[in-house]
Amino acid sequence: MARIDLVDLAHSYGGNDAPPESFALKPVTMTWRQGGAYALLGPSGCGKTTLLNLISGIVTPSRGKILFDGRDITPLSTQKRNIAQVFQFPVIYDTMTVGENLAFPLKNRGVAKAEVNARVKQIADLLDLTPYLNRKATRLTADAKQKISLGRGLVRSDVAAVLFDEPLTVIDPELKWQLRSKLKALHREFDLTMIYVTHDQTEALTFADTVVVMHDGRVVQSGTPAELFDKPAHTFVGYFIGSPGMNILPAEVSGHEARIDGHVIGLRRNYGVLPSSKKIEIGVRPEFVDVAAPASGLLSAAIERIDDLGRIQFARVRVGNAKFAARVPPGFSIPGNTAGLIFNPAHVHVYADSQLVEGVA
Amino acid sequence: MHSIPGRRLIMALFLVFLLLPIYWLVNMSFKTNVEIVSTMTLWPHTPTLQHYKRIFTDESWYSGYINSLEYVVLNTIISIAVALPAAYAFSRYRFLGDKHLFFWLLSNRMAPAAVYALPFFNLYSAIGLFDTPWAVALAHCIFNVPLAVWILEGFVSGVPREIDETAFLDGYSFPRFFIKILVPLIASGIGVAAFFCFMFSWVELLLARTLTSVQAKPIAAIMTRTVSAAGMDWGLLAAAGVLTIIPGALVIWFVRNYIARGFALGRV
Repeated sequence: MARIDLVDLAHSYGGNDAPPESFALKPVTMTWRQGGAYALLGPSGCGKTTLLNLISGIVTPSRGKILFDGRDITPLSTQKRNIAQVFQFPVIYDTMTVGENLAFPLKNRGVAKAEVNARVKQIADLLDLTPYLNRKATRLTADAKQKISLGRGLVRSDVAAVLFDEPLTVIDPELKWQLRSKLKALHREFDLTMIYVTHDQTEALTFADTVVVMHDGRVVQSGTPAELFDKPAHTFVGYFIGSPGMNILPAEVSGHEARIDGHVIGLRRNYGVLPSSKKIEIGVRPEFVDVAAPASGLLSAAIERIDDLGRIQFARVRVGNAKFAARVPPGFSIPGNTAGLIFNPAHVHVYADSQLVEGVA
Repeated sequence: MHSIPGRRLIMALFLVFLLLPIYWLVNMSFKTNVEIVSTMTLWPHTPTLQHYKRIFTDESWYSGYINSLEYVVLNTIISIAVALPAAYAFSRYRFLGDKHLFFWLLSNRMAPAAVYALPFFNLYSAIGLFDTPWAVALAHCIFNVPLAVWILEGFVSGVPREIDETAFLDGYSFPRFFIKILVPLIASGIGVAAFFCFMFSWVELLLARTLTSVQAKPIAAIMTRTVSAAGMDWGLLAAAGVLTIIPGALVIWFVRNYIARGFALGRV
């Protein structure tokens, strides 16, 4: 159990002299709270696994430091770091029984036998592995093997953190839900710091109380699921989280107004004059734009199709050349192929070079 | 299933073809020398165990088996002990020239043993290793280590890297991981590699004969020197041949399942 601080941590597989853009993990400074449930979210290849392997010590960072409770553990080997990690594919010791597999991390650290047994029993019960305890771990299904991997990760109560590297990839969707809720329950029960890597936003948002979004080797935002949804700090976050993702449109912004193709959209905050060298965009979630009959005061859009998600309908439209999604209000029917868009000013955000710009109230 | 006409007959012929020389050897080993040279008999008419008795009681014969087993076992142990860490390194680490080194190791096997006979003879004579089991065991390493590295590398690569990482996370040091986790996981690979080392070393004659004279003379060398003033001792030679086949057959019997798995899993 520990607070984990990353201080200016960066890693390149090409060595320290590689050009900065090629770093798999660009310099990051952040803190992982003791007892937090974190999800590390991002597309494949964005550096999530690298960050995880740096924390567990499998990979040694090119630059920067890692502190556990303020103690620099960067030069320590994996073995000495007191970290548990669960990988994407099941890793089991074929030559041992399921019970021995679960007891293994405890035994290696000299935990008393009675405590080992109690702990193994507890974890096995939680993961429904009790019937298999005395069986050889080989020749089990992939599901069961992955449960053993999870169990081995969770069996130690004193770990600094448990790291999960997309652990539920090989598991059936039905079982996935169960296991994820079990992980949550375990998290509450044992006060463990958990970092859960995934590229699935549903998984991230349901598991974690803090979601850390990564993009192209950078941590672009870290916050609660609600924060990520309401106020994405980076256009990538807006686009990546939510289904459909946030609409991003190039615009000219000055003061309380955003101008798109000469059409004016009101903003809640005052943005003053933004530097002209930066690419200025506005972002708004489809949930906060309604389609309406075309009218003179509304931004007009060409409707391409309507997606019915059951509870809600989204219109896929084009504004100029840009793709755009907007909510279809209940009972609304579209007379033609064009529609007007009604923006909710409170939820229109302004981005300069993809970074959120905070206006003045 | 479509059956080939006469398949039983073909199979039977094939088996006879394979087994006939072995049968003939066994057959001869139980005959008296008189019977061997005078008539052709399909089975021993006056069966005798005198040849076997001679081998087991005459030191110049049975010491040949002991010498052979000595250097074969030594060689197998050395080869596996050296090849295991090498195979792990080739499988897990990227280092400068690793692929070239791997190929170069393998290319050692491509030279005929005769190429090495002279340098080994001279070298071992100079440092006093000549005519010891160590001489032959070390000489055979030049063929067996590359082979073992090559076989074991395939098996180590079949073990996911995450196993290593998990073992470290779970608190194992590298040596403990290597012995307690990795070795059991690739046990069948080690079995296969050991088998090949054993077989090669057991049947190799040229180096074994060149590097020994009296003290460490292998059985195969003794067998080629049985022409005496009284002529050829056929029966004795046949009995020695039968006894030479037995260790190989035993080893194959013990590792046959491993080899099947080895074929399915990795190299070989």
